[in-house]
Amino acid sequence: MSIYGSAVKKPVTTILIFVAAMVIGLYSLTQLPIDLYPEIELPFLSVYTTYPGASASDIETNITRPLEDALASVSNLKEITSRSNDNISVIFLEFEYESNLDEASNDVRSNLSFVQGQLPEDAEDPVILKFNSSMMPIVFYAITANESYAGLEKILDERVVNPLNRIEGVGSVGLSGVPGREIYVDVDPQKMEAYHLTIEQIGNILRAENVNVPAGYIEMGKTDYPIRIQGEFQESEQLANVVVGNYAGNNIYLRDVATVLDTIRESRFVEKVNGGRGMTLFIQKMSGANTVQVCRDVEKELKALSKDLPSDVKIEKIFDSSSFIKGSINNLTETLMYAAIFVVLVVLFFLGRWRATFIIILTIPISLVAAFVYLFITGNSINIISLSSLSIAIGMVVDDAIVVLENITKHIERGSSPREAAIYATNEVWLAVIVTTLTVVAVFLPLTFVKGLTGVMFSQLGMIVSITIIVSVFAAITLTPTLSALMLKVKPIRENAPFFSWDGSIHKFLEWLDNIYVRTIRWALHHKKVIVPVAIFVFFGSMALFGIVGAEFIPQSDESTCTATVELQTGTRYEQTLKVADRIDSLVKADIPEVTLISTSTGTDDAGGFASLFSTSGTHTISYQFTLLPVKERKRGVEEVAESIRQLISPMPEVINYSVSTSSNSGMMGGNTVDVEIYGYDITATNLLAEELSKRFKTVQGAKDVQISRDKSKPELQIQFDNEKLLRYGLTTAQVSTIVKNRIDGLTATRLRQFGDEYDVIVRFKKDARNTITEVENIGITTPAGEVIRLGEIAQVKEYWSPPNIERKRKERVVTVSVTPYKRALSDIVADMQKEISQVEKPSGVMIQISGSYEDMQESFMDLALLMVVSLILVYLVMASQFESLKMPIIIMLSIPFAFSGVGIALFLTNTKLSVIAAIGAVMLIGIVVKNAIVLVDFINLVRDRGVELYEAVIISGRSRLRPVLMTSATTILGMLPLALSSGEGAEIWSPMGIAVIGGLVFSTLVTLILVPVGYVLMARRGERDKKHKVAYRDMKFLDGIESVN
Amino acid sequence: MKAVMIIYNVAHTEKLEFALEKLEIRGYTQWDNVKGQGTLTGVPHLGTHTWPEINGAVLAVVSDSQVFPLLEAVKRINKVNEEVGIRAFTWEIQETV
Repeated sequence: MSIYGSAVKKPVTTILIFVAAMVIGLYSLTQLPIDLYPEIELPFLSVYTTYPGASASDIETNITRPLEDALASVSNLKEITSRSNDNISVIFLEFEYESNLDEASNDVRSNLSFVQGQLPEDAEDPVILKFNSSMMPIVFYAITANESYAGLEKILDERVVNPLNRIEGVGSVGLSGVPGREIYVDVDPQKMEAYHLTIEQIGNILRAENVNVPAGYIEMGKTDYPIRIQGEFQESEQLANVVVGNYAGNNIYLRDVATVLDTIRESRFVEKVNGGRGMTLFIQKMSGANTVQVCRDVEKELKALSKDLPSDVKIEKIFDSSSFIKGSINNLTETLMYAAIFVVLVVLFFLGRWRATFIIILTIPISLVAAFVYLFITGNSINIISLSSLSIAIGMVVDDAIVVLENITKHIERGSSPREAAIYATNEVWLAVIVTTLTVVAVFLPLTFVKGLTGVMFSQLGMIVSITIIVSVFAAITLTPTLSALMLKVKPIRENAPFFSWDGSIHKFLEWLDNIYVRTIRWALHHKKVIVPVAIFVFFGSMALFGIVGAEFIPQSDESTCTATVELQTGTRYEQTLKVADRIDSLVKADIPEVTLISTSTGTDDAGGFASLFSTSGTHTISYQFTLLPVKERKRGVEEVAESIRQLISPMPEVINYSVSTSSNSGMMGGNTVDVEIYGYDITATNLLAEELSKRFKTVQGAKDVQISRDKSKPELQIQFDNEKLLRYGLTTAQVSTIVKNRIDGLTATRLRQFGDEYDVIVRFKKDARNTITEVENIGITTPAGEVIRLGEIAQVKEYWSPPNIERKRKERVVTVSVTPYKRALSDIVADMQKEISQVEKPSGVMIQISGSYEDMQESFMDLALLMVVSLILVYLVMASQFESLKMPIIIMLSIPFAFSGVGIALFLTNTKLSVIAAIGAVMLIGIVVKNAIVLVDFINLVRDRGVELYEAVIISGRSRLRPVLMTSATTILGMLPLALSSGEGAEIWSPMGIAVIGGLVFSTLVTLILVPVGYVLMARRGERDKKHKVAYRDMKFLDGIESVN
Repeated sequence: MKAVMIIYNVAHTEKLEFALEKLEIRGYTQWDNVKGQGTLTGVPHLGTHTWPEINGAVLAVVSDSQVFPLLEAVKRINKVNEEVGIRAFTWEIQETV
């Protein structure tokens, strides 16, 4: 018994199987975590090697190069880049996507061990660090305080950080810009020298005073008493009263030579939030944790915790990656809902029968739920890719049910009972239904084979659409007949129905449409000579539109945040930088109403650690993070806001360089910049070339934020010793440098212990004794002979430009000039940039290459072109085997070029650029549009086979298939419409796909209805008719001579 | 005793089975998937893509008195929709064993 026969005969089993499937699906849905993107392991490893004291170029020759040579042979390695800074070498290794990183890091480790012996002795062992997308903080809070500011570190540590760390899924909680407490002993050098003291002596005395010593036991009577000497300072005031020396019989107290300041740590790093002094709290999640859940828990916990904090401490959210996720997910859920509603309306419009509509609509939840089961089993999450895939599939899953139901209805109208009709009508179409679905799967399944970053996005899309469609076919040939048998009733069309009923209005309209179509097609068949040239003209004309719309990689999504970096003259003091920062702050607040929160960090944090490796920072740089209003509450997009911030910053004379970026760190798509890489060993030559190019690129229309990757040289003061004099005084470089360091940077003498915490006590020169070169030269140094000499006597203080960091890529030195496109297609900007590059004279040995998102785009488009070819071949194979003909698929595939025409026209009309996403839409169209043509051509073949004359067959088929074609197209088009029109969070990414599919499908449907019949008439003139006579009966000569008597 | 052969579009299967039961015709032979084509009217029932409809066949050997109601039943089934198609043919049975 056939599957549909069994299904109809056992309705209870059939229905319950689907109920069970729904239950499993809904269970999976509740278990699925919500995230922005599918979890991917970023294929990056980095190797850090520190070599204290070495300059950037030393690091390059002694560390980076040997390591690079050793690592180049690691398998699956895609690219090797490196950065050699003073003291540290960082090598980034990028692997192919989906390569096993554990294996890779083992390879890296063993390759490192070969060269480790060749590294300089003082260099520390290389450290391998694995990147992980969960290293990105998921939420940032700004914390501001007034009165309690000074004690904030302790308060936050105890009452906020520790409780937050206990939340499930929180990986780590970090604070930056925290004011730490420190005790400074600011010594007056003149007084100090007058009393014959040195910083080191003062430090030693403080250290010696600040001790608790156990001094043994004494036995008294029956008791044993331990003795302790409590010498530790209780309060910082005690420091001032310590006796540090003796001069002419009098005690010298610390207060005589120095001021003791118990204050917050002097830092050259300031964090401000909305202009007020504040700090940032950031939270990293554990790998695999649910971002939305963790953010919600943290939020709840913080609310509870903030009740116990002093009233002036305010905690405000700066950036929450979950809000974009939630926004996008809600937005997509809405899209999905509208899509479902539209599909229901379309089906109802064409069928005009509630019961039939219900039966068809039921396939939607069943197929979607199958996708949830798939996601659950494979350990995936609900993310914007899986949801978008669902809304793409929603219009297609009803198609098969429609075909089956249509045939069942036909049989019922002919008098069969619903049960019989359900079985025998399904029998007639089930094979055709499966084959048309195969063509769609033939397009979507290859998507799962795409490699690289685009592969991560599209393999899930391909898998989900394939699965939902396959399930929908299964439902169409089991559930649809079963329910039809149970529910469908004969309800003939009433001839004189009232206008307000379906029979009276829509049905009549559809009849009228059929007639119009028959007339059009009849005309078209007799005017082939007009139709064909017009079609060719339209095709080539629309292809030209692709040149106009321009290309880009992936549309930037509006995440309601943007970041800016402002650079002042190198070496600017941080107080000065701070003033500029405040000015920009107030300007932005006054002029740009969309910005709700500004968080600023200025200067460098000495304790920055690893983070400071990734960004260049110094006392002259300011970093901004702007939080904008939610997308729906503002008119301007984030790019326009960024542009107006640029307009504000650019006229400021002190700013020598700035960049405003709209891509946040939560996206995995990386930047959107065009990078021009200049390879060459000569630093000066490549610097000049980079400067020249950046000057030229600034004139290119739409090119913003032109940045050079190599840091500018930094002014620094170098103390150069005269070795001969050093020796004469019996001093060594190490001794003198320690002395200088202790006086300027300070000597950490001891620690003040209070309430279980320790605070550094730092002894150093007071501020106005270390502000000029003369003062540095005046630093007194006590020689071993007890004589005090000045630093200026044994050394020279010189101003000097320190060499920049050295970046390398593919084992060659490289400088990158990057450009951010604004309101102009990437391809156009690159064309202009290439023109500029060709005008520049290249020094010998220098090579220029364009990479960045342009390179990514080129690679992705190549991948897609290949994918398109594969899809075309697969679709052709499926159809050729279905029709058992090599010619029929070609007629059907006539509609594909016009789908691309439609894409071009739609992109042009909506002013959308051709992105990878839109291109994927175009590839998808291959599978979607041939479906229409298959329905039509298949029916023409059938009618021809029944002996009808060619033209008449075409017209009869056209009339009969018009509604199914319109209906399946309309469900797909309207199913995508919400995706194309959506304007909420994250909509920018997917709307080009919606636009492309809608444009392509509308246009190709019209073409299918006119051009495919014309093509059929032209190409199948002798036709498929009497295939049997041609093939099977060809050699049957044995009956020659015997004729019929009729 | 007469043999009645009924060739019917499978879409009539359940109606015919009901008729046989109602008329208490116990002995019959049924074939599924029988191809055929009418002499005068109707489309071929070949079970192909072009002519997807397919027939079934019932051969019932019944007493003379049962022939008339059975043919009447076939006529009524045919009246539901003549396009679907059902035909009956009868002939004499000489002997049975």
